[in-house]
Amino acid sequence: METPHTQHLSAADYEHVYEPAEDSFLLLDALEADLPFLDALQPRLCVELGSGSGIVITALAKRLTQSTLCLATDINPHACAATKRTASHNGARLDSVRCNLADALRPRSVDLLLFNPPYVVTSDEELQGKEMLAGSPLVYSWAGGQHGRRVTDVLLQQLDGILSPIGVLYLLLLRENKPDEVIQQLIKLNFKAVKCMERRIPGEYLYIIKVTRSIN
Amino acid sequence: MKISTYNFLTSMAIKGVKVGYPLKLTINKKNVVECEFNPVFIEKLLPKLDWSAVYGAAQVAECEDIPQAQPDNIADNEALLQKLHHLLFEIDVLEGQLECPETGRVFPITDGIPNMLLNEDEV
Repeated sequence: METPHTQHLSAADYEHVYEPAEDSFLLLDALEADLPFLDALQPRLCVELGSGSGIVITALAKRLTQSTLCLATDINPHACAATKRTASHNGARLDSVRCNLADALRPRSVDLLLFNPPYVVTSDEELQGKEMLAGSPLVYSWAGGQHGRRVTDVLLQQLDGILSPIGVLYLLLLRENKPDEVIQQLIKLNFKAVKCMERRIPGEYLYIIKVTRSIN
Repeated sequence: MKISTYNFLTSMAIKGVKVGYPLKLTINKKNVVECEFNPVFIEKLLPKLDWSAVYGAAQVAECEDIPQAQPDNIADNEALLQKLHHLLFEIDVLEGQLECPETGRVFPITDGIPNMLLNEDEV
């Protein structure tokens, strides 16, 4: 997959939208490594939750063009707009929808789901407090509350209602998010979950968890 | 917002809403962006689409000749596949709104982006 161009986004954009970083590139690399699986899966609807700059969903939309509808959601209106701009600057076709996670999507419709969540461990006050409401929407892109898991845990509870019968999720986690605990939780929820890629970056250790419905 | 995207949107996240589908679509400004016709993709996408929402959107977008009931043999009907292609992938709604069929809650579409974000007291 080609890495999308992002020259159209400036420092001013990155005051409101998460700038692509090592975590974004790890998710891209994991998807690229799993392309044979994705080609066999033949997803019809691909959705990235919290698309930010749109770099991940744009790369995928270019690769899967002609066979997959691609949508991006974000609660941050600047991110929704940036994602559309990134797609259009790279000749990719996708739509942005402003909503919380997959709230606005028909149940069990998503074949390929991507999520690079706000994973930084913060206090819950930081996640829900007045500073958050008064501050930049950028805080939502990284502040994860206790264990950096507040938003991820919400998604896990909703996952059965989001994924189609063939649906698969690629989820990015930080070591501090306790990925093994997340995998155990997913197994309890009747999913199959494995670490499919991991990488040490300065100051962080990141994992990509691949989640599918268990056959039984 | 493409009509293909519209087909996947629901207001069921609103507290008390059971189905929230199809949303009532209003188009104030649209763009037509031509793209490559791929009949196989349309056929494969059809099982994921809701025909009543396809038909409803066709009326709003003034795309005539989309039948009210889904025909059985769409794969052999090149003319209909062409019309579906135009409706689903080439019409881009830039300004308009979506309305919850159960509560009347209005979601604006601005610069091609539907705002489906709910307030905390709505969920």
